[in-house]
Amino acid sequence: MTDPIVLFAATTLGAVGAVSAYLAVRNRLSLRIALRNIVRARGRSVLVILGLLVATAIVSGSLVVGDTVHTATVHYSYIGWGYTDEAIYGTSSSGGYLYFSSIVANSVVTASANDSRIDGVSPEIVGTVQAFDNTTGIPQTNLYLVGSNASQSAALGPFTSVSGGNPGSPAPGSIFLDKLAAQDLSASVGDSVLLYGKFAAPEKVGAIVQDDIRGGFLTAGVSGGSVFVDLATAQALQGTPQEVNFIAVTNAGSQESGVGLSSAVSASLTAALATIPGTSALSVHQVLSDSLATAQSASTSLTTIFLVFGLFSIIAGAMLIIGIFTMIAEERKGEMGMLRAVGIQRRTLVLAYYFEGLVYSAGSALAGTFAGVAAGYILLWFYVHTVPTPGFDVNVLGASFTFSSSSLITSYLVGFLLTLATVVVASVRVSRLNIVRAIRDVPEPLPPLRTYTYLAYLGGVSLAVGALLFLTTFRGSSDISYPVIGGALVILGAGLVASRFWKNRTVFTSVGAGLLLWAGVEPLHDWVLGTGHSGGIFFVFVDGVMLVAGALMIVAFNGVDLARSVERLAAGRKGATPVTRIGLAYPSRRAARTSISLTIFALVLFTIILLAVYSATLTGNLNNSVTSQSGGYTFLGISSQPIPDLPSKVATNSTLSALYSGVVPVTTGLAFVSVQGFSANPYHDNLFSAPVNTTAETSFYATNQFTFQSTDHGMSASAVMAELQSNRSVAVVDGGYAGGSGFGQAGPHPSVAPGDMIEVENPGTLAAQNVTVIGVLEESIVGGVWLNPSTAASLGYLTLNGYFLTVHPGVSSTLAAQKIKSAFYQYGLVLVDFRAILAQTTAIISGDIGLLEVFIALGLAVGIAALGILALRAVTERRHEIGTLRATGLTRPMIIKAFLVEYSFITIVGALVGGLLGLLVVYNFTISPGSSAAYAATLFVPWWNLLAVILVTGLLATLAVIGPSLRAARLPPAEAIRGVE
Amino acid sequence: MPESVVVGEEVWKVYGQGETQVPALRGINVDIRRGEMVAVMGPSGCGKTTFLNCFSGLDDITRGKVTLEGTDIHAMSDRLKTEYRARRAGFVFQSYNLLTILTAAENVEMPLLASGVRAREARPRSVEMLRELGLGDRVNHRPSELSGGQQQRVALARALVCRPAIVWADEPTGNLDEEGSRQVTSLLRQLNRDFQQTMVVVTHDPDVAAACDRTLRMRDGRFVT
Ligand SMILES: Nc1ncnc2c1ncn2[C@@H]1O[C@H](COP(=O)(O)OP(=O)(O)OP(=O)(O)O)[C@@H](O)[C@H]1O
Ligand SMILES: [Mg+2]
Repeated sequence: MTDPIVLFAATTLGAVGAVSAYLAVRNRLSLRIALRNIVRARGRSVLVILGLLVATAIVSGSLVVGDTVHTATVHYSYIGWGYTDEAIYGTSSSGGYLYFSSIVANSVVTASANDSRIDGVSPEIVGTVQAFDNTTGIPQTNLYLVGSNASQSAALGPFTSVSGGNPGSPAPGSIFLDKLAAQDLSASVGDSVLLYGKFAAPEKVGAIVQDDIRGGFLTAGVSGGSVFVDLATAQALQGTPQEVNFIAVTNAGSQESGVGLSSAVSASLTAALATIPGTSALSVHQVLSDSLATAQSASTSLTTIFLVFGLFSIIAGAMLIIGIFTMIAEERKGEMGMLRAVGIQRRTLVLAYYFEGLVYSAGSALAGTFAGVAAGYILLWFYVHTVPTPGFDVNVLGASFTFSSSSLITSYLVGFLLTLATVVVASVRVSRLNIVRAIRDVPEPLPPLRTYTYLAYLGGVSLAVGALLFLTTFRGSSDISYPVIGGALVILGAGLVASRFWKNRTVFTSVGAGLLLWAGVEPLHDWVLGTGHSGGIFFVFVDGVMLVAGALMIVAFNGVDLARSVERLAAGRKGATPVTRIGLAYPSRRAARTSISLTIFALVLFTIILLAVYSATLTGNLNNSVTSQSGGYTFLGISSQPIPDLPSKVATNSTLSALYSGVVPVTTGLAFVSVQGFSANPYHDNLFSAPVNTTAETSFYATNQFTFQSTDHGMSASAVMAELQSNRSVAVVDGGYAGGSGFGQAGPHPSVAPGDMIEVENPGTLAAQNVTVIGVLEESIVGGVWLNPSTAASLGYLTLNGYFLTVHPGVSSTLAAQKIKSAFYQYGLVLVDFRAILAQTTAIISGDIGLLEVFIALGLAVGIAALGILALRAVTERRHEIGTLRATGLTRPMIIKAFLVEYSFITIVGALVGGLLGLLVVYNFTISPGSSAAYAATLFVPWWNLLAVILVTGLLATLAVIGPSLRAARLPPAEAIRGVE
Repeated sequence: MPESVVVGEEVWKVYGQGETQVPALRGINVDIRRGEMVAVMGPSGCGKTTFLNCFSGLDDITRGKVTLEGTDIHAMSDRLKTEYRARRAGFVFQSYNLLTILTAAENVEMPLLASGVRAREARPRSVEMLRELGLGDRVNHRPSELSGGQQQRVALARALVCRPAIVWADEPTGNLDEEGSRQVTSLLRQLNRDFQQTMVVVTHDPDVAAACDRTLRMRDGRFVT
């Protein structure tokens, strides 16, 4: 095994195993005590393992989701590119491939003929085409057109017809449709089909082929149909005789082994190209290996999102582990004290404890790894059933569900080490056990001053490290998490030092307030740290942990007053005071112990509410912002061939003029945008430009209602548009350029501010110009850069093939879309329906976030489990006190109520802290005036969902503690006082 | 002659079942009058604590009948029994059984609050009780900050703060030195006189027994004369 993860895991586990085995042989008595403890309370051991497995399950669940998505996307990469390992092409300004002479292509074929690493070189035409099936009467726009010669494309593999046979190759007059294209046209073999490119050509369907390695080229059978024709037919359709636009190169060997040759082959192809004249605009692209790399990074980023949000639950899991082991330690305190008294060494007991923990860690990590695999599957199953994603449906999930051995081993290792680490910490705690105190069950005394001195040293270290981190990162463009963590360490360190001299309560309340301010007041970050920092979901995590920690510190050190005011509130009702007094005494006066479940609840509810409110705010604002996103238009139409004078064509067509109130033509193209400081220049984007010599009704400048996030010197929207119309050196960019720290952003995107200079290059003509950005639009659906029309023309953007369309009020957009598409399908007119896109985006965002929420709910399960364990432990521990209370005159219902008050307090305070902070973080990240990522206007709170979450949480928490409470109430007072088990 | 407050007729208490049965009370007959202060003495394991638990209603009995102030205590529901305890009974345990999480005053006022006294009235009453027992300066201390004798006095204050009709005390002086023991005994005696409270005191200490009106001697689950 050469996988470094496996190697590392094996080494680590081996080391832990060897050390433990050595210790076990040298300390048989410890081992015997440990095994006896495990076997003696078998039910409890199972419970412990169940509690411990959650953290591991979250890690392995995240990895499995990533693995599966990886398998699926890799599968599509292999189908979508088939045997095309490298492709040689140039990009034209309209975004399609650049045409070049077949002679050039044949020179490449000749140059590669003797290269043993290359199996074949296939000159092709790859473009789009419109089709009309005369037999069924159905048109379809924007099908992929793939033209190749049978004699020069053998290396791409044979077609397979849907019935399973080999249909040969397309020939003049006989085209092949893939399954999706045939579905779109309702076509059958033998239908007569009219194809439209630049020119029209009547054809017959020769075969319908499967979307396999050959027939699935470009579409992978997922989206968009393909039409396969012979090269001459493609040249006739596109009006490019003797030209091609794409050379597919097939490496030797299988797909998997061939792709390994990609960089070597592409190097020699590049060298070969340099010797062939007329190839200056062409370059070699390692399409398959690039696509595989993208698949890898897509699945990695998915795993990251799951892990980061899972981190909250992992912390919750770790807290639970500490809780469980503290409980075990306290339960055994008396027994351990006895063992020590009769002469068993401290070391023996600590080791016994360690061995017990070792068994639990090993077992729970194993169970957790597999539970995570199951959780990952359930999650993906829900995903495919709730979020319709092309290419990822139930069948694909079935075929691609994967858990790699390295994922399993990683999860096991992480889970095992996490658990073991807490066990070791707990063992050390037990080692400090005082024999007398343990036997007499006297509570541990307050820590001596010495402890505070140590803490002060620790604080000094934290202060220094924090200051260093802050000072090195507070200016510049690093991840904002670093200076913010630095600041938090300074606050914490100062607090620890101060606790040596002042009262804990004063000091740590201040520390908590400081953390809340520092992490929670967004404008403070801009003010202190500037706006140059980047930030992503990791910052959401950092911010969340700091806020929750700050708030809980305040609660923990002021719980007594909090409890007292609640008690006073309840004082009116008969019998309420003893209930609230007893119920609140434990969580407020023994804060350290309660804080475990309090933290779990706060963290988990923080995450759930954060996600719910974030998704509601995002979708709510998207819905609200149709106008700003669409500029007031209904559709953006793009045609593959320009439609000459569309406005008058629509006006003179009675059907269309009844539907459409406005048609505004614009120039579109592809632009390479370079922005200073951006890591992946040039950024490929759309280009738009609106002509000026038009009537008022067809003028983009007169009709658009686009709004801006920011403009140069705060110009009004109309002033920006007027400037764009007249000034040759300015540009307007879409909302994607606003950058910032919105989570859920895919891939790097350059960010600019009004006043910045960008370079726009036309990849077709290689002409470039620097322009000044004067406005950043709100919208990001029509993504791209807007140029002044003269500037666009001088760069070579001349095709007027975009149209902003507006329908009359009350007209069905579906009907309007149908009519105009069928009137102009020969031009390959496709429409972007703004409203539909917004609706879809909204659905996908909520679906994705909903999925994350399910995942986080695992953390909630941890919280509930922690409560149950805490309550169970309380009943055992408080037998005496419960008996006394009963003797004193507290009725059974009062005892139950006191327990419920106690755990409601934990749940409610946790939920309040988590919920309010979740709201705050969403506010900061979306609509706070200081937020660099401001792109929403209103905070939408899904009250009903939140209510449901809180009710379910409350209900489950009650269920978890009701059992222990009943047990407590049923304790016969006489026996409870005697302390009979 | 004052009325009967605690009456037992042929009371049996058998712990456990089958082979492991332990008959702790074997047909107890007793009659304690209002205002009486009675000591219960006997060797360890003879059934004194069991007697206290069974007659105060903390524990169930196996056979027989216990009447407290005219009502059959074991015929009551648990809720009524508890309410009766809150209003009419006070307990002092051998191991003080204070709630470690509450302060002295909070411990003392617990029975008052349980019987429905408002928190505003309960606090001054419990502080007053603590002061009577010489703990005026320990009101806001937690049990872990008090000595054993002080803790026992807090437990006494808790038992007496309601001015209960019957006080059940299980070795109230068991953990105290001679001086403390004498203080607690004379305090009980004084309260018994001042408020006509009936007191049942289990003890090993002949001095405590001597301070009582009469002594019941117990052997093997029976009173002997
Ligand atoms: N829950 C129980 N199950 C079985 N037997 C019990 C139980 N509780 C007490 N006993 C037994 O009942 C008998 C009486 O016990 P009790 O506690 O009443 O004695 P005691 O007189 O209070 O003794 P001491 O002076 O030592 O406190 C003892 O023999 C004891 O072992
Ligand atoms: Mg006893």
